[in-house]
Amino acid sequence: MAGFLFKRLLQSAFVIVVVTLLVAFAVRLSGDPALMIASGATNITEADLARIREGLGLNQPFLTQYLQTLSGLFTWDFGRSFMGGTPVATLIKTALPATLALAFTAMAVSIALSIPLGIRAAVRRGKWEDQTIRVVSLIGLSFPNFWLATMMVLLFSITLHLLPPSGMNGPLSFVMPALTMGVILTATNVRLVRTSMLEVLNAQYITVARAKGLSENKVLYKHALRNCAIPLITYMGVQFGGLLGGIVVVERVFNWPGMGTLAFDAVASRDYPVLQSVIMVLSTMIVAVNLLVDIAYGLIDPRIRTE
Amino acid sequence: MRKTLTALALALTAMGFAAPAMAEGKLTISSPQDPGNWDPIDTFLVNWSSVATNLFEGLTYRGPDMVLVPGLATAWDVAEDGKTIRFTLREGVKFHNGEPFNAAAVKFTFDRLLGEVGAAGPQRSNYMVIDSVEVIDDYTVDFHLNAADPVLLTKLAGYGAMIIPPQYYAEVGDEAFNNAPVGTGPFKMTSYEPRIGVKLEANPDYWGGAPRLSEIDYRFITEPATAVAELQAGNVDLVIPPTIPIGMIPTIEANNNLSIVSTPGPTVYALRFNTRDGITADERVRRALIMAVDRQTIVDAILGGQATTIASFQGPASFGFDGDLAEIPFDPAGAQALLAEAGVQPGASVQIDVRGNDATFNEVAQAVSAYLAGVGINATIQPYETNVLLNDIIPQGKTGAMFQQSWGGWTFDYDNTAYSMYHSGEKWNPYDVDPELDAMLEEQRPLTDTLRREELLQSIARYAADRALEMPLYNLNAIYAINNRVKGFVPAPDSRLKLNEVWVE
Repeated sequence: MAGFLFKRLLQSAFVIVVVTLLVAFAVRLSGDPALMIASGATNITEADLARIREGLGLNQPFLTQYLQTLSGLFTWDFGRSFMGGTPVATLIKTALPATLALAFTAMAVSIALSIPLGIRAAVRRGKWEDQTIRVVSLIGLSFPNFWLATMMVLLFSITLHLLPPSGMNGPLSFVMPALTMGVILTATNVRLVRTSMLEVLNAQYITVARAKGLSENKVLYKHALRNCAIPLITYMGVQFGGLLGGIVVVERVFNWPGMGTLAFDAVASRDYPVLQSVIMVLSTMIVAVNLLVDIAYGLIDPRIRTE
Repeated sequence: MRKTLTALALALTAMGFAAPAMAEGKLTISSPQDPGNWDPIDTFLVNWSSVATNLFEGLTYRGPDMVLVPGLATAWDVAEDGKTIRFTLREGVKFHNGEPFNAAAVKFTFDRLLGEVGAAGPQRSNYMVIDSVEVIDDYTVDFHLNAADPVLLTKLAGYGAMIIPPQYYAEVGDEAFNNAPVGTGPFKMTSYEPRIGVKLEANPDYWGGAPRLSEIDYRFITEPATAVAELQAGNVDLVIPPTIPIGMIPTIEANNNLSIVSTPGPTVYALRFNTRDGITADERVRRALIMAVDRQTIVDAILGGQATTIASFQGPASFGFDGDLAEIPFDPAGAQALLAEAGVQPGASVQIDVRGNDATFNEVAQAVSAYLAGVGINATIQPYETNVLLNDIIPQGKTGAMFQQSWGGWTFDYDNTAYSMYHSGEKWNPYDVDPELDAMLEEQRPLTDTLRREELLQSIARYAADRALEMPLYNLNAIYAINNRVKGFVPAPDSRLKLNEVWVE
């Protein structure tokens, strides 16, 4: 297990370096922040621009700038935003919990819905319940999340005045963004649960369990579910990465004060330190989650540990 | 027991209903961007000003009517040569922290702006004409300039020239000042949450009288649809420019509680020509292309009437605007004749470069292209990423025959536009070299004789129009969406909203 962990850690570090290096390189192709900052000033000279660049540390070699950003992961000092000079760490400190709270709520919504629905569909295979669940989940899958978000705002905020259209302010404000993301996750997860359940239900030990006279719920939720947990957990690990990526759109629609909003604004204003740090933190988290998934395998299925 | 619970529930409900009543006098505004810093010298953003105009004041003030009036200075006297300005300061004014406003504060503000601290920010370049500020007595200061600058008094009404309190600044330091600013304005800042919002409360000791609102709550909402949803849901009272897309105006107007209020803004739009190469190097061709396009129809059909057509690259609020300068009329037959005269064959093609993210202008460009097709010119539209277009394609002279330029300046002075667009060697003028135009541009710059300067600016506009240097399109309105419970609101063309006379019902 130690050797396996070490290897996976090295791989993870490599992935983070490659991702951040690519991002740091790419954002520098996208335009000059000094010009953005100076665009409102009348009669700005080349010397003024040079001074602004120097103030932002843009005159230093690319590698120096990159290493400074990377070191932020360890020192929690990501430099300052080009827009106004707020320390990036301060921005991330409020944005990250907001994003995580939303992501976990969405995951929870999805798990709470997809496991019973998926099992139901598998057990009632080919019956009307199965058909309905499959069709509904296909519809859920086909919604673009920004459309779903807009429709919910129209219905629940503007027409019914039940939920706040944007912002993170109390439990009610979680409902629409978490549902928007949760619905799409659920649609995929239901199908996943159904498929792996169908496989497991044909296995001999299920027949044995039933033959022993165990209650149907015990058979399904204890014996069968445990065995289809591996593909589920793997997929949810991957899904979490996608979730953090997809959150950008949803956060923007709901004006959620998270990492997505931060990244979006940073792109618009060529705010390198903010953009790089946000991507670095998010990619580190995605890599870490995948690592955790690998470890979780070992815990759930002893066969993997000994391999 | 049940009775008690019922009573409690009723009481809670009553309190719930009472809450909005207590919050009377609170205005909630959706602002598209957090400037990230409230120090006047660290920012250039219009969205800074739309908040900070309520916190800070300058020596002069220019409100929504664009007229320059006394601010923290009650009077000023410009010396004959234009190089010294003596300001008489308003007495009895206090900063939000109780510190007195006086000549020392003025000197401190400009020493900081022109010194080391200001050198790191974008605002200093606007005020480089100021050589030094001399304190004459507690309420008199002299500004010594290294050249006469007719636009300086206007500049003193905004941004970097806002007067800050020396003691407070010395006590808290630069960084704390960025997040907790103190000025002399009608409102004080009570809280600031980066990227979320900022809250202000009334300054009861304001020299101009206590404001009518007790609180202003600004929320940073980037996405236009979200801002409009908040407005429709009644959580936001006012959405400030440039958020409201033209396409959403009918939706807002259909709601009885909401209104659209607009006024001509600072930004003008034009398609500028490559005057050096290709068919547009010929003045007759440029004129013909202008004649081929019906700008009024574009304004009515695409911009929902929220713009006015222009004859030169400026709007009516700009100093140097000439109401007598006539637009080149829409005349497709005349355009075809001119093109024939210039030897341009039907089917000739031009490329129009636009900013890819400007959806409205992309529609405008398509309409222009259709009009050009009407006189036998094939126009292709080439969208670029905004930064690429602005920082590479235009300055390097790599554009097509025509390219989008939208331009606005908070000083509303045509010099800012004309000099950048027409003077040889300027970043925004990659193609044209015209010594005569250069001379006119240079001549007006230092003039303190306003009438003479206005005359010269008007002749520059006429000259540029005669040479058909660009296809002037329109001056876009600054569009505000507002809840009808807000009273006394006057839209500011430049988003600098001072809200002390506004109230809510």
